[in-house]
Amino acid sequence: MNWLNKLLSRRQLDRDLSDEIREHLEERTDALIANGLSREDAAATARREFGNVTLLEERGRDVWRWALVENFLADLRYALRQLRKSPAFTAAAVLTLALGIGANTAVFSVVNAIILRPLPYPEPDRLVSVQSRYTRGTPHPSSHSYPNFFDFRKYNRVFERIVCYRDSDFALSGAGMPVRLSGEVVSADLFTLLKIQPALGRGFLPEEEKAGQRVVVLSHSLWKEQFGGNPDIIGRSIILDAQPYTVVGIAPIGFVFPFFNAKAKLWTTLSRDAGADTATPMTEQRGARLLDVIARLKPGVSIEAAHAQMDTIAAALAKQYPDDDKNVASTYVRPELERLTGPTRGPLLILLGAVGLVLLIACANIANLLLARTAEREREFAIRAAIGASRGTVVRQLLTESLVLAAIGCAAGVLIAIACVKLLLPLAGDSIPRLAQTAVDSKVLTFSVALALLTSLLFSIAPALRLARTELAGPLKEGSRGSVQGADRLRNGLVVAQITLGLVLLSGAALLIASFLHLLHRDLGLQPDHVLTFSISVPGSRYPDEKQVDFNNRLLDRLRMLPGVTSVAEGVPLPLTGSQMTISFNIEERPAAVYNRPHSDIAFITPDYFHTLGIPLIEGRQFTERDDAKASPVLIVNRAFAEMFFPGENAVGKRMQPGASMRDGEAPMRQIVGVVGNAVQTPLELQAEPIYYIPYKQLFWFVPPIVMKTSVPPAAMESAVRSAVASIDKEVPIYDVQPMEDLLTLGIARPRFQMLLLASFAGIALLLTVVGLYGVLAYSVSKRTREIGVRIALGASRMMVHRMVLEQAMLLVAAGVVLGLAGAFAAGQVLTNMLYGVSPRNPLLLAIACCAITLTAALAAFLPARRAASIDPMQALRNE
Amino acid sequence: MPSQERKDLFPGALEMMILRTLRRQPLHGYALVQHIKKTSDDLLQIEEGSLYPALQRMLKEGWVDAKWGVSASKRRIRIYRLTSAGAKHLEREVSSFERMLEGIRRVLSPAER
Repeated sequence: MNWLNKLLSRRQLDRDLSDEIREHLEERTDALIANGLSREDAAATARREFGNVTLLEERGRDVWRWALVENFLADLRYALRQLRKSPAFTAAAVLTLALGIGANTAVFSVVNAIILRPLPYPEPDRLVSVQSRYTRGTPHPSSHSYPNFFDFRKYNRVFERIVCYRDSDFALSGAGMPVRLSGEVVSADLFTLLKIQPALGRGFLPEEEKAGQRVVVLSHSLWKEQFGGNPDIIGRSIILDAQPYTVVGIAPIGFVFPFFNAKAKLWTTLSRDAGADTATPMTEQRGARLLDVIARLKPGVSIEAAHAQMDTIAAALAKQYPDDDKNVASTYVRPELERLTGPTRGPLLILLGAVGLVLLIACANIANLLLARTAEREREFAIRAAIGASRGTVVRQLLTESLVLAAIGCAAGVLIAIACVKLLLPLAGDSIPRLAQTAVDSKVLTFSVALALLTSLLFSIAPALRLARTELAGPLKEGSRGSVQGADRLRNGLVVAQITLGLVLLSGAALLIASFLHLLHRDLGLQPDHVLTFSISVPGSRYPDEKQVDFNNRLLDRLRMLPGVTSVAEGVPLPLTGSQMTISFNIEERPAAVYNRPHSDIAFITPDYFHTLGIPLIEGRQFTERDDAKASPVLIVNRAFAEMFFPGENAVGKRMQPGASMRDGEAPMRQIVGVVGNAVQTPLELQAEPIYYIPYKQLFWFVPPIVMKTSVPPAAMESAVRSAVASIDKEVPIYDVQPMEDLLTLGIARPRFQMLLLASFAGIALLLTVVGLYGVLAYSVSKRTREIGVRIALGASRMMVHRMVLEQAMLLVAAGVVLGLAGAFAAGQVLTNMLYGVSPRNPLLLAIACCAITLTAALAAFLPARRAASIDPMQALRNE
Repeated sequence: MPSQERKDLFPGALEMMILRTLRRQPLHGYALVQHIKKTSDDLLQIEEGSLYPALQRMLKEGWVDAKWGVSASKRRIRIYRLTSAGAKHLEREVSSFERMLEGIRRVLSPAER
């Protein structure tokens, strides 16, 4: 309450002071009059002797104030009043800032979510990823096999824990519709390693890794949705893939592991892979590399030390098991977060840089607006200086106005960012780990506030400097227009900088757009229209061996009979899904040691596969129903395969032995019976990779996904398909029902996301640049009204005036384009890894970008030029 | 024109003179400044107005208090009076000022030592 009293009594104090000073002046005047001066002289003398009344009064008042804050508040009120007085300027500045800060905040929130936030487990800095270093061809990270992982676990002395994991699908049945779930097969230490305590129950025990042990930890959401959140579930059994699994724990709310498979809803032990359904169990195949590995460093152990020890163990294994391990004799050990964000880090930082450029352009724009405004307000500043405001006060006032602008812009920008995050993220699909966790949180807000402060400083430096240098009283002198050459140079420089940056962004966007168009319009080598794809999960326990083939025959027959279906086939992995399978093989004519054998993509398909997907047969024959387990083993290769492994020869009739078999023992030698056209397998590949196809009936590990060519829109077939499958077995879940064209859309979601972002940045940049150029020209025309009037009066044609303004504009644009070209080349280099089928130095695209910026600049110059040409000389001269 | 060019001789000098003057008798601002000018024989060039910020400062510190009244010439005046806190402050200031003067004097005439 005390300060309130003070505040109230302060008004009284201020009044007292003014009264007192007035009385003083009157008394002095009276005294001087008594001495014989005239009233006028007396009053003037009294004032002179007293000093600067306003200033002294203010200093008197200052005694009572919390000076700093109150000065600021006074400045603030004044700034708001000033901004209200010129709504056009304020709106332009706030909008510019809001766009700049909003775009930056949105991108930063993504960067924050993906790169900056630590992993959500205790002591995340000690979590590392251990990968094999596969050294055939260009060395690259690869997965581990179970036996190798077991050896790493046994012999290392650097990790507190080390855990392997792999993605796996599960069919949950029992109550109601069967559901297909994504899950993880992990070694027993997972929860101990992550230091995560399950919400209910426990993690896994070491003995639960043994074959035949079936235990599972459920995600919190799965437990709530499928089991009603009933705590009694612990210790009970659920049916996964037609087998009972005991629920031992429930993960905490929001628990995600691993981030590459954020959809994982359950975790079970590697005992799932230890059981021998058909061939040697996976846990005993040293050549089957399918595991990811995460480890926790012991306290005080460096990553380098851990890496050295892993390399030693890997080298020893390679020596002992050359057939399987010769190509993985070393490792990559790096922070888990780095591995997770590695592939997205580059593009994200590029986007952050691009959006930073947008902000710079925005700053230049506001600086320009402020410069023009400062020039217009020179008289006001001069008057304020004349009544006692120091230069510092005026500059401080200017900075306050900038801060107010920045604050409003920042608030609007954050709103824009929140909207952007909501609208843009779904476009990226789930191709980027941790993207879904993007949110505008306190860190992001801090970032945007810091950004606003920085920008307000940036864009007020120019006007403030200029104000500090000029003679404030100048404009008050008679007839002075108060404009200085230096300011024009500064404004022109800012516009040139804008055009430079704008061209850099525009050329980058042009590259990404061209690259995206290439992705859209390239020849896929297959016809994805009118094709429906879906997967089913058929448990091996209920349909072992030939029973599965039988099930499959019935299923395909049933689907073929559906009205609207023209052909049906199966294949795994399906094109455009992004999944790939690679198996090495031995060519009969050129046998090689196991570790030295060639390898390529492989797919398992049924006879109508090529027909259904529209992949043309080039040579030989297709598979038929007779290519089954009893017939002689065959395969079909694509043209890329034939060209790579049998260059200049006829591939049909050659024999090769892929390392894949139904049962233990030697894999059979197979004969190539046909060559088909190249079809895109992964959505982002530039040219078709070699692939070989094996008939499903000769290798039926599991039921592949189904593809159906339809005469009706494919999505309309979903319910018919569901009832067809249910009529055969209603325990079999159906999932991933999708038209193939949607797969394509999903597959290119990431480049589309990047393209959209960069294109919108370039769009904003272009808009801002145009506004900036327009502002400079319009201002210069209005300042030169008299000069232009004189020219016209002296006989210059409208045409010439028009051209004069356009020339001024084009000079600026030319300077900007020349500088921007250098930047554009550099930008293209930076973008190389994000481009598909487009050279980063595409001269045509660069020319288009230059044209675009020149044309829009011409457009911006048009209005001021017309205004200049229509100046009435009489009026222009009379105004003076 | 900026007023800083005619500063007090040293910080606190004006305040000391005001307090010293008010110890003799309560005065209003105008009378106070005329008195200081007269007694210093116009040796000290003080700007009349600078009295008021100083008075405000001293009001805030509680060294003086002020009351509105009416002068002999029927003028509304605000009369300042020394408080006991002001008197104490004056004593402290004067003694420290005298010590300082003594110091300066010794330095300026070293021959006496």
